[in-house]
Amino acid sequence: MTELPLREPTFLILTALAVGPQHGYGIMTDVAQISDGRVRLRAGTLYAALNRLVNDGLVEFDREEIVDARLRRYYRLTPEGARCLQQEVDRMRSTTTVAARRLRLIGGTQ
Amino acid sequence: MTGAGRTQKAGRAMDDRFRASDADRDRAAALLRDHFAAGRLDAAELDERLAMALNAKTFGELHRVLADLPEAGPAQQQPNRLPPDRGRLERGYRCLLACYPAAYRRVHEEEMLAVLMTAAPHGSRRPGIGEAVDLIWGAVRVRCQPSRRSAEPGWRDPLAVVSILLPLIVFITTAVRVAGPLHAILDGAPSPFRDMFPLWILNQFTGPVALLALSLLRPQRFATRATVTVLIGLTYLAYLATLSYLAGGPDPGVVSMIAGGPYIMLALGLQMAAVTASPGLRRGLQLVTWKQAALTVIAAVAVAITSYPWTLAVISVICAAMGLTSSRGRWLLVLLAIPLGPYVAVPYTYVIGWGPHMRLYVTWLMSPGALGQLGQACVLAAVFLGVFVVAACRESLRSRQLARPSR
Repeated sequence: MTELPLREPTFLILTALAVGPQHGYGIMTDVAQISDGRVRLRAGTLYAALNRLVNDGLVEFDREEIVDARLRRYYRLTPEGARCLQQEVDRMRSTTTVAARRLRLIGGTQ
Repeated sequence: MTGAGRTQKAGRAMDDRFRASDADRDRAAALLRDHFAAGRLDAAELDERLAMALNAKTFGELHRVLADLPEAGPAQQQPNRLPPDRGRLERGYRCLLACYPAAYRRVHEEEMLAVLMTAAPHGSRRPGIGEAVDLIWGAVRVRCQPSRRSAEPGWRDPLAVVSILLPLIVFITTAVRVAGPLHAILDGAPSPFRDMFPLWILNQFTGPVALLALSLLRPQRFATRATVTVLIGLTYLAYLATLSYLAGGPDPGVVSMIAGGPYIMLALGLQMAAVTASPGLRRGLQLVTWKQAALTVIAAVAVAITSYPWTLAVISVICAAMGLTSSRGRWLLVLLAIPLGPYVAVPYTYVIGWGPHMRLYVTWLMSPGALGQLGQACVLAAVFLGVFVVAACRESLRSRQLARPSR
């Protein structure tokens, strides 16, 4: 079962799918965008993560298309996946809030 | 014309004043994401346009969102002008994808290939090292992930067979190993085991009996199984300690028995796994064939008598030939090879020679002879791996041949 905190690739994949169904290559480019090019998922990593997420019921198949004679399969977030991402966002937000507050106390910027 | 392109065209043929449906908005959003994936939109533009598309009331609004984007799907801009080395690249990727389980490949091979080919840098003729390592590691991860469908025969069925064959192997190897000293004791020859004969026999057969009991009783709860396994292991170790005490020090015979300790422990661990994850003894009995059982008996006897790595290599090839045709057979082979493995790491004299030259296991490991043995173990591992790869390639070839007519 997927446990919190989510590992970064998992978090980014779920975030990429939060915008709507995407295919494998779409997720890869989106993850690179979201992370400012810091995380570049390769196909092996992406599909191992997707396989686990599908097994855990956080992500499911959406539809298939044939584009330029190549199969393209779309994945989407399940309600459980959205809930999991929301929990992770809440968890991160609460820790970053505390960190920001403490930084302000010692006179850091903001 | 692609599915995506067609829907878009159909959309544009509609009157702009018509009201858009949820499906229309979703289609427009999907097109936007495709264009984003192709790099025509950045993340901010995508978010902005998605919001517009999802709030659109009419076709006119949807068309405005898509107005400055080409009609065809994003992968359409390079229709059928694949340079010849793309074919080579594709073959390279297919070879790497052969590492994935067959059931997984049936669903994902074409899809992953599409992603790999799109992501490959222009002009690359073969998969990069990083990509190759990532794919192989991904295959390992996918193989280790539990499947949601328990009907997946990859792991569980071979374990059911193992839970039957493993006690058989251990029984036979133990019986053969005990036979020599037992004969000597009955003949009245001096033997380190003379004074502790009953204890020794009890010790030797604890392992196999425990293995059989685990597979027959198959305790329902994991905690029970774990407790039983640990207790058996501890009992075995206690016997060894007692024997070693009675023998009054590191007697060669006792030492050789201690060397057999890891073997029993390994077998216990494997049996525990087999009993935990297998679909049960009944399923195992359905699956196991006479050929498998006979070959297992022959292999166990040969290994126990000679304890010679090359014998094991030959046997592994025979077993491989028997299991080549299915992934189930290959898993069975690997699982059964685990408890046979320690024999490779133990000197030949372990079974047939009770000579005084055999000292503590550790001393032996330090000796130059150990290096030779290590080399042989490596050769054996290479034989195993080679057989495995050949089997995987054959299977992938066959599955592709099967898939071709349907395409």
